Amino acid sequence: MNAAVAEGVTDELRRRTLPRLFSPVEWQLALPLALFLIAFFVAPLIGLAVVSLYCEPNFQTLGLVQYRRLFGDSFNLGIVADTLWLGAKATLLCLVFGYPLAWVCARAGPRLRSLLLFIVVLPILTSVVVRTFAWIVILGRQGLFNRTLLALGLSDAPIDLLFTEPGVIIVLAQVQMPLMVLPLLTSLQRIDPNLADASAALGAGEWRTFRRVILPLSLPGIAAGCTLVYAACATAFITQTLIGGARHLYMPLFLYQQASGANDWPFAAALAIVFMAAVLLVVLLLSLLGRARTARIYA
Amino acid sequence: MSNSGFSRRHLIGTGLALGTWAAMPRLARAADMLVAATFPGTWNDAHKAVLVPYFHKATGADATLTIMLATDEIAKLSAAKGSAPPFDVAIMDEGPLLDGLDQGLFDKFPVAKSRHYGELLPVFQDEWGPKISIQAIGIGYNPKKIKIPPTKWDDLFNPAYKGRVGLTALNSTLGMAFMVDLARVNGGGESNIEPAFTALKKLLPNVGAISANLGAHAALFQQEQIDIAPYNFNFVQTLKAKGVDVEFARLETGVPAWRTSLHTVKGAQKPDLALAYIDGHIDPEIQAAMSKPPYDVIPTNSKVPLPPEAVRLIAPSQADLSKLVYFDWRKINQGRSAWIEQFNREIKI
Repeated sequence: MNAAVAEGVTDELRRRTLPRLFSPVEWQLALPLALFLIAFFVAPLIGLAVVSLYCEPNFQTLGLVQYRRLFGDSFNLGIVADTLWLGAKATLLCLVFGYPLAWVCARAGPRLRSLLLFIVVLPILTSVVVRTFAWIVILGRQGLFNRTLLALGLSDAPIDLLFTEPGVIIVLAQVQMPLMVLPLLTSLQRIDPNLADASAALGAGEWRTFRRVILPLSLPGIAAGCTLVYAACATAFITQTLIGGARHLYMPLFLYQQASGANDWPFAAALAIVFMAAVLLVVLLLSLLGRARTARIYA
Repeated sequence: MSNSGFSRRHLIGTGLALGTWAAMPRLARAADMLVAATFPGTWNDAHKAVLVPYFHKATGADATLTIMLATDEIAKLSAAKGSAPPFDVAIMDEGPLLDGLDQGLFDKFPVAKSRHYGELLPVFQDEWGPKISIQAIGIGYNPKKIKIPPTKWDDLFNPAYKGRVGLTALNSTLGMAFMVDLARVNGGGESNIEPAFTALKKLLPNVGAISANLGAHAALFQQEQIDIAPYNFNFVQTLKAKGVDVEFARLETGVPAWRTSLHTVKGAQKPDLALAYIDGHIDPEIQAAMSKPPYDVIPTNSKVPLPPEAVRLIAPSQADLSKLVYFDWRKINQGRSAWIEQFNREIKI
């Protein structure tokens, strides 16, 4: 009897706390997508892992040779580290420029906001290749940037930006900007403007209000934006190779060289697996950071 | 669901409409369409402007060009082995061609059905696919910045060109041929690449940029990011015709060259169209059109004379083409992956 009552109570609780979004029938609606993902994402991923376990480029014996080769060479590990670090720098730059932009968008009137949003989203509507080539024209020695610099007398000689890491970081930050601004905007819009007023009424200056109220409340947006931008920057084959050239070797180009130029699929597969794990780890840390801070604030 | 104003019939109707729409490209493709691989630069330009229209007139079919380096073609074809290949006609340089033949990626060229195969000079006949041209390399330079035309690789080392030299990665035949020839003039060759790496180390202070892919090499000259670089004869001619300040300089130490060929991919969807396309490329009419500026493609059909610029810069006559510097690509292929790795280590900043 008691058990039955308890069951009834938990049922009731469950009904109230977990709105039943999905009845068993509706769960099945997700099946086509699940099957699709299993067939076209999980299965190839397993295939990739299997390829990485071959010892020779012509698939003779199984073993961990490729992973030993990867981890046994500081050159390879250096490329992994360079790539992860590149992603971090580009993400940080993107955040520094994206946050004020999102702030302005959030505070603007509805008309100005839709105009700003349109401008922010505009780059997504053009191909990454086109955007990157445009940057070649801007950053080159005879490019817009250097000509302006020389014409204004700010520099005596053109500054090298094309084929340098700072160039790659600048372009990545611009190219991936919408991925940063949109989640930030969403979380900034959710913040009740009264909170800032309350903070001011209690004597906090603007900087303090931002640091103690707005910034912590926008952390989920920062974490989401950084996650998206980081994953996109670290793996941006086109931008990295076109702006960085072959002397800045990051994982996507390295992978491509091993698969296409050197025809060494097992090593390329091992590189892909390790790189994917490394990027996933960083992304996981980022999302943990976002969650941990918000949990503390709301508690 | 009923209150959402979204009936099941509605949903199914939309789904069907979307399905039909998605199937449309397949239907359009079913009406004769050939997919042919082409190289960036001159080749893409010439194929689009000359060969594809001719092919359309001759067969009534359309051809889609897809731009890829030969090594990329091999990678894609070997990945697609056993299923429908991503393109029907491959364009190959000598090194990747050997890889492709080893992996059984191509069909033999139906010589008996070809109208123009017999007109090719004997050195350009190949049962696996006719050679459509010779690609020669030398030095591309900006005549506005460099007044004395360079004559040998050694000229790239001139301290005056600090930061002004461009190179390209080893995934292209240009990059690979440059390294092998650099080894050759320094006492090495296909079996001994070390002299090239020794020279490369000395060259690095002069190197302003190394393009990761050949397509971006042109942008280096266009944006005046560099003034001097190893480059293909045809690419320089095409770039010059587009108004870029660039000239081709012939190497006194010998002109490195390789043969470029077209092949029917094994399992091609339209082998007959592939034959028509490839045969079109060795048709004297097409080769004559492609030998004109801005392409200056070196012909392989005995009925077509060498273009004047090729006579001036590459070889005085067709018979002299055999005196260019050719490499043993079998040996180069054996070293390829180790050289790419060494190149990465030497050049990385």
